Amino acid sequence: MPDSAALACPVRLPSQRGRTERRLILVFSVIALALAAAGPLLLDTYSISILIRSFLYGAIAVTVDILWGFTGILSFGQAAFFGIGAYALGLSVTQYDFTAPIVTAALIGGPLVAAAAAGLVAWLGFGPKVTPLYISVITLVLSVIFVQMIYSGGDFTGSSSGLSNFDTFDISMEGWFRVAGVFLVAVTAAGWIFVRSDFGRLLVAIRENEQRCRYCGINTARVKTLLLIGSAIITALAGFAYAGYNDVIAPDLGNFQFGTQLVIWVALGGRGTLIGPAVAAVLIDFISAWLSGSLPFIWQLIIGLVFIVVIVLLPQGLGPAVANLFRRGRTRPVAARLAPLPDADAAGSGALPAIQVESVSRNYGSLHVLQDVTFTAGAGELVSLVGPNGAGKTTLIRCLSDGQERSSGRVAIEGNPIGRLAPEACVRFGLGRKFQTPNVFDALTVAESLRIARSRQERLSFVRTADEVRLPAAAMRVVQATGLSSQLGTTVKHLSHGAKQALELAMVLAMEPRVLLLDEPTAGLTKSERSLIGEVLVELVRAHGLCILLIEHDLEFVREISSRIIVLHQGSIVMDGTVEEVTNSELVHTIYAGEPHAVAA
Amino acid sequence: MAILLLDIITTASILFVVAAGLLIVFGVLKIINFAHGGFLTIGGYAALVTTQLHWNPWMALPVALLAGLVLGAFVERLVVRPLYARPLDAILATWGLSIVMVQMITIAFGRGTNFVESPVQGAIPIAGDTYSLYRLIMLGVAIILGAIMIGILQGTRLGLTARAVIMNENLSRSLGINSGLVRFATFSIGSGLAALAGALITPLLSVDPLMGVPWLLNAFMLVMVSGTSLISLGAACLVLGGAQVAISTYSSPVLGALSIMVLAAVLLRIRPAGFARA
Amino acid sequence: MSEALAVETLTSGYGEAMVLRDVTLRVMAGEVLTVLGKNGMGKTTLLKTIMGFLPVRRGQISIFSQSTVGQPPHHLAGRAVAYSPQDQAIFQELTVEENLQLGLPRVTRLAPELKRVAAIFPFLAERRRQLAGTLSGGEQKMLIMARALIARPKLMLVDEITEGLQPSIILRLANVLRQEKSANGTAILLIEQNVSFALSVADRYAVLSRGEVVDQGDAHQPGADTSIAEHLSV
Repeated sequence: MPDSAALACPVRLPSQRGRTERRLILVFSVIALALAAAGPLLLDTYSISILIRSFLYGAIAVTVDILWGFTGILSFGQAAFFGIGAYALGLSVTQYDFTAPIVTAALIGGPLVAAAAAGLVAWLGFGPKVTPLYISVITLVLSVIFVQMIYSGGDFTGSSSGLSNFDTFDISMEGWFRVAGVFLVAVTAAGWIFVRSDFGRLLVAIRENEQRCRYCGINTARVKTLLLIGSAIITALAGFAYAGYNDVIAPDLGNFQFGTQLVIWVALGGRGTLIGPAVAAVLIDFISAWLSGSLPFIWQLIIGLVFIVVIVLLPQGLGPAVANLFRRGRTRPVAARLAPLPDADAAGSGALPAIQVESVSRNYGSLHVLQDVTFTAGAGELVSLVGPNGAGKTTLIRCLSDGQERSSGRVAIEGNPIGRLAPEACVRFGLGRKFQTPNVFDALTVAESLRIARSRQERLSFVRTADEVRLPAAAMRVVQATGLSSQLGTTVKHLSHGAKQALELAMVLAMEPRVLLLDEPTAGLTKSERSLIGEVLVELVRAHGLCILLIEHDLEFVREISSRIIVLHQGSIVMDGTVEEVTNSELVHTIYAGEPHAVAA
Repeated sequence: MAILLLDIITTASILFVVAAGLLIVFGVLKIINFAHGGFLTIGGYAALVTTQLHWNPWMALPVALLAGLVLGAFVERLVVRPLYARPLDAILATWGLSIVMVQMITIAFGRGTNFVESPVQGAIPIAGDTYSLYRLIMLGVAIILGAIMIGILQGTRLGLTARAVIMNENLSRSLGINSGLVRFATFSIGSGLAALAGALITPLLSVDPLMGVPWLLNAFMLVMVSGTSLISLGAACLVLGGAQVAISTYSSPVLGALSIMVLAAVLLRIRPAGFARA
Repeated sequence: MSEALAVETLTSGYGEAMVLRDVTLRVMAGEVLTVLGKNGMGKTTLLKTIMGFLPVRRGQISIFSQSTVGQPPHHLAGRAVAYSPQDQAIFQELTVEENLQLGLPRVTRLAPELKRVAAIFPFLAERRRQLAGTLSGGEQKMLIMARALIARPKLMLVDEITEGLQPSIILRLANVLRQEKSANGTAILLIEQNVSFALSVADRYAVLSRGEVVDQGDAHQPGADTSIAEHLSV
């Protein structure tokens, strides 16, 4: 349904909103920097010294929010990175002297070591079949390892007493206040611009539906790795600054309790809001310091209780709850524009078959879902895969799109063997896969979803939000004919089932695939929607030379549009031929024994 | 050599007793109860209170068990049940609970370390040396506990019900099993076991508000590696606990303290199913 | 004849999407009603709503004349309702025996009941200690049916029991269901895509398309299968 608000308020373009937001954030940054500069004149000494630390923590909280609130990576390891940065300076200066080369080496070395640790953690935690809990586990272990290494370092690391009274920068406390303030403002402003950019939406897409991202050809593991490394570097720099200001450092800096504190601050401030976590970190740390004199344990107790209450009752955090009090009126809707792409050449070479399947089997223990399946399909063919439930059709599609899936056999797409490649690599051979139930991004808008689908061809900006989504002709057809073109600003969660199916198809077509795998594309669609999809598919095959393999139960639909039918039964191909051959076959009739009407000539 | 073997077996037993409660909660509720360390600490302080009241030291066990059961019941109702549909948030909330518990204990008892009277003193001679009697008793406790739990799970209708919920909660419900009740009972029992473990280990170490943390981390890694099988847990405790003992003895205690976590992390990466049957 | 199951103007679905709209059906004791329809048309949603796994948006559900709206699923087994879902219907890692045991109420001994169902499906007695996951597809479906029958249900909800089965086993299951209905007066709601199987067992039929009942009638009537065919291919 079209967003009725669009009738009342004119729609803004994403670039306009982006520019407005960036201006706002720059204004706030300038104000914040002015406060940082003026702060020391207005506050007492104790507050200043606390706030230096709080500002640094705030910056780290921003990175934790980007990882967790936006991308869904729950990392407890920021503490270890902080500790690495701090000890890089502390150790270098204690062992050698406080000279420019040494300090520079520490400034580079600390973040470098942190980045390496993050890289290792990412390699361990972001593999294909690893559960999301594992990254939290590994980052926890990292913190423990860090603390233990410091403990076991004897005199070199200062062990449990830490390092103290080392020579450090000759900057006044007020000066450090400004440095920390600038650091916080810079990280928050940059972070804000980043998460509001097109690339920032990709982070949310990964959190929402990582599988879909991978099937759009995005190497999500690499994105997550780079994010973790980036946050490690920023956190290590914060640690460096902390050691620079505070000439006492102890292993506690890197323990996992600190890591969990950060998560708590982000949760309380509002995950996914960026500003909330920064404010919460600064405020709570500041207040904790003031109260730790009088009632240390009770304050921690209160924080713990509030944290539990927030998780149970207000999972969005306190930030959004407070912000909602200030929100007045409706925000103007934002939607991108569609622009057509010039028609690509029907580049179907025809020389190499589009799909080659040789002796593919898939077993789960003693259960044989697919047995020795062999067939070839070429450009310009519309092959329907039919068979009773449980015959192995969806499993076959999985084996074609994910190199890890099959137990044995060979698969090649456009002449490229998929070997054991992950879906994002298989998709790069020109493969598009549409899932049986709509596999889309509920929290994004229609336009944002389409842009993600186009991200391999048109890179996402880290700063801006583009106005146009350029779509190839087939995707444009689907979007316009199903009414999605007037719902570009609608959040996908609010779309009807049929609209979501259409969106997913449009997203797959936006990738300009040469080979299309469709799993029940017409399930849940109205009659007119189905005819439309049928027309589009036939056109893709005839005019653009695609090869389409589709699973369908609607045998009318199959008869109308297919050039070839493959019948799968109990994991094997029992028949592979033209529409006439299959529908007139005795064998097929027996398999469908309960549905004589379905195969009547 | 005999001493080393005994160290390995008794360490494995202690780890098993600590981790068993966490495992059953993980199996039935599908969450890692981060308050497990907190319950362990409560059990430890229950033993301290028993000592201070000059009761028979063995009384610490039922006191701890009861405290854990009752507290666990409240926690399940108030904190865990509302988060049924959000397992990652449930993990976070139980972590928050752990903080609350530790702070309350600190307020009540102070931050210092305390010692608890051991119900059994002394050592017995073995293979030309002597070995702590209490540690050998821990071996017995682990075996008995394991036997009881496996016996209930495999041999009773109650156990069959629990296993059904672990394997497929919705199917169990359609067959008439009140899975909400099973979750409630499991969490309470798991918490009770944690507290019991806390009371059991305090004579070997000491009692302080943060005692639960290293045990939580190790138990957590052991459970992740074992999946939902108690037998796998036993195997994991033997192998990883054995590694810890060996590395502590022949290399350094610091590395030893890390060994369970690091080895488990590596194992999970190679084989996400862990020790569970292929 | 008493009314075993009554569904009135039932509307339900997932989140914001309503899958079932205004569905009204009735099954009497000793009667088999088959609900037919293509994938995604709402058949499984209907059973899940009746069982209480999905909330009722509008309408009423009564089992043996008592409303069940808002009750948790585990109450129904105690009211002699047996549910055989389409997916994940057995515990793969439990034995045949244990799967059957879970079909019985707590206090009942397995042995005499096992004998009874083994008379219908002999392999159950021979393979009682075998893990259910290692049985063949057809044997697993027969296990599902045996588990449903073992507690002497008064109402059976059966979801696509014949999916993926070879014709000989399908015939056997048809016999079992007919026998159950006539000998024990059990009411059966049979969800199916296999029309000829369904019509060989049912007394009445209904066709579900896009969440609505578009056709219903007497299964024994001559024009039934053509009428159904028309409504299914829409």
